[in-house]
Amino acid sequence: MLIVCLLKGVPAKTTQVVTVSGVLKREEMELVLNPHDVKVLEAAYYVKRTMGGKIVGISMGPEPKIAPIMNDLYQPVEESRFVPHVSYEGLDERIILSDRKMAGADTWATSYTLACGIKRYLENHHRAVDMLLESVKTKPAQEAYADAEKLYSENMLPNYIFSKLPTLRNSLMARYLAGEVGKEEVVSELERHKQALNKFIILAGMKTSDGETGNTGPQTAEALSQMLGRLVPSIAFVKDFEISPETGHVIAVRKVGGVIQKLRTTLPCLLTIEAHYEPRVPSASYQKTVRANRYAGKMKKTLVWDAEYIGADPQKIGFAGSPTIVGPGYEIGKPPTQKFVGETLVFKKDFEKFEWNGKSYGPFKRGDNVNNLPEELVKKLKEEQAVGVFTLEDLFEEVLGGLKVVARAV
Amino acid sequence: MSLEQYRDVWAYCVKEDDHITRPSREILAAARKVADQLEQDVVAVLVGYGLNGAVDDAIAHGADKVVYADEPWLKSYQCLPYTRVICEMVEKLKPYAFLFVADELGRDLSPRVAYRLNTGLATDNINLAVEDYYYGPTNTTYKKIIAQIRPDFATRVAKIYTPRHRPQIASIRPGNFDPLPPDPTRRGQKIRFTPQPHEEDFVVQVLEETPVPKSTVDLEGAQVVVSLGLGILRDGRGNPRNPREGYELGSKLVELIREKLGVKAELGATRALIYAELKELEGLITSERQVGQTGKTVAPEVYIAVGISGSVQHRVGMIRSKKIVAINNDPQAPIFQLAHYGVKADLYEVLPKMIEYLEKR
Repeated sequence: MLIVCLLKGVPAKTTQVVTVSGVLKREEMELVLNPHDVKVLEAAYYVKRTMGGKIVGISMGPEPKIAPIMNDLYQPVEESRFVPHVSYEGLDERIILSDRKMAGADTWATSYTLACGIKRYLENHHRAVDMLLESVKTKPAQEAYADAEKLYSENMLPNYIFSKLPTLRNSLMARYLAGEVGKEEVVSELERHKQALNKFIILAGMKTSDGETGNTGPQTAEALSQMLGRLVPSIAFVKDFEISPETGHVIAVRKVGGVIQKLRTTLPCLLTIEAHYEPRVPSASYQKTVRANRYAGKMKKTLVWDAEYIGADPQKIGFAGSPTIVGPGYEIGKPPTQKFVGETLVFKKDFEKFEWNGKSYGPFKRGDNVNNLPEELVKKLKEEQAVGVFTLEDLFEEVLGGLKVVARAV
Repeated sequence: MSLEQYRDVWAYCVKEDDHITRPSREILAAARKVADQLEQDVVAVLVGYGLNGAVDDAIAHGADKVVYADEPWLKSYQCLPYTRVICEMVEKLKPYAFLFVADELGRDLSPRVAYRLNTGLATDNINLAVEDYYYGPTNTTYKKIIAQIRPDFATRVAKIYTPRHRPQIASIRPGNFDPLPPDPTRRGQKIRFTPQPHEEDFVVQVLEETPVPKSTVDLEGAQVVVSLGLGILRDGRGNPRNPREGYELGSKLVELIREKLGVKAELGATRALIYAELKELEGLITSERQVGQTGKTVAPEVYIAVGISGSVQHRVGMIRSKKIVAINNDPQAPIFQLAHYGVKADLYEVLPKMIEYLEKR
């Protein structure tokens, strides 16, 4: 079973954020794994232990910035600057989607790009099985076995088709080589495997700590649905889920629209994993199947795929493919007037417009700040106790004294 | 398809009992704001079963029209069937803009809808405006498009535009618009859609639905919110204090405001205080009281920040409060930059005085 994790590099510190006219310049900041993606890795590891298969992490971003994250996802790292602690065995495969043309993407273009990457990943596996089918059909068993061995070493075939594990001596190709199964049986078994490849699961974080949208998961499912010509459902904010090795069904629990929903879906599907998710303990009774469904093992090298390799339409990726444009940002404004207890000078009573030294002042209301008045006048008003320092009592009176029962539409 | 053919501002409303939810009423108010500037209509969109009361409630809260699909097979919310129905409505009636609530349902649904309609989605907005937008690279001015305003992840807000695609889809954070006062005499056009179910949309089955127990904490509806931060752990001299004391002072204050002033008041808290998981506050300060980016957005008449430094994440949750009072003994605390009233003193001295003031009333 193919277990796909969508991962993202986010700025290590929000203070490091560099933008040029609203577009994030990721290449100029150090990136770390999105903290919400930890739950994705835990969920993926649960699925792998329950079903077998392999975990691939896919991330879109500038290769130099994503590579350190991916390196630390190969296996658990005690102290990593890029990846927090996760209880798992690391990722079997890691792919970076990196291309200048992908820069400046909004969630639509990001999802399109990720879906292209997933589609290519699936196609690569389909192609591997097709190659083996072809060699089983046209070549002697020994040569087909050698081809299978090569594909196995590239992590493209699960143990039950080919294996070098001593516990899995009776893989399909081993039995074929030994003459225990015929060509027809091998062909139909490989056809079945091709179908099973379509029963993948995609896991994504509920959101990222930088963009905070949570759009990419559901949108990637939609993009992939369109590319594959079949619906890949998405379930967002999954708090708990179970996957059944018998039926291949996923049962997920999530909160939505005032209710807790318990949902059942078949594969393929995409889940976004909520922050409170805790993985279940995989059942021990399927360990043999799990082993048979596993692959050779982890691939050390992180793959880097560009737009052309994943067959992405240049008009649909990066800034060019993004329907939204980020305009200029601005600061959240300061309130117009501020009063500090024990500091700010305020009027202690109402004043009509008045003359002083030939100039007119006012009107003032009780509580108004005393600003830009001549020092002499302030001194005089202070003596008359008409102005004074803002006190706690003044504050209570002003803030709480004026409160009435205001009917709010509820 | 020319962009000029797209008209009206839609708001995706969610039914609750025989009316629509409060956040739905808020986005109707948001839709009203931009529709009036555009001289277009506000259209409420409802999908579900048993919608009569909700349809009328949407009209009373500012919708000029309601487009709805009322079918037994739409009773439970499900992403795929709802996405299909909504996309069919959009393709037929071509709205100019489309608003969703940025809650779990809106975040599950709106991304798929936006992707399928091949248009942009601006998430988590706190405000909307109608503007002319000049776009340099193509030297084009897009007239009267919607500026979708959301908190930026630094110290700012950013405007997101969807200039070349329709509808312009935006989700709105709850708590940023006041619902319009209900007007039961308002009349509106009701347009019923009768979609057909598609089998493949039901690949996800709802096995069970349990209502989430209603929270007794109503932060969004409160006129006064007293929020506590990590500052309650120390007094003005820097000596440790049992946070329970701070909690009790805060609760007492809330209680007195309710009792003496007759207004709705609630106790809030910062994320930092809640996630500190202090033994002394166990069961007292829970996440339903959290104000801020990942909690609730509040806009009360008076917001009293007690021992809160004022992080950006907290700010976005309370910046719309009419009067902000900050009590903090650190004169450098950023909260003082946005407070209308500042008390740079020990909260363990200020709160008892405030309580005393109210007790005398």
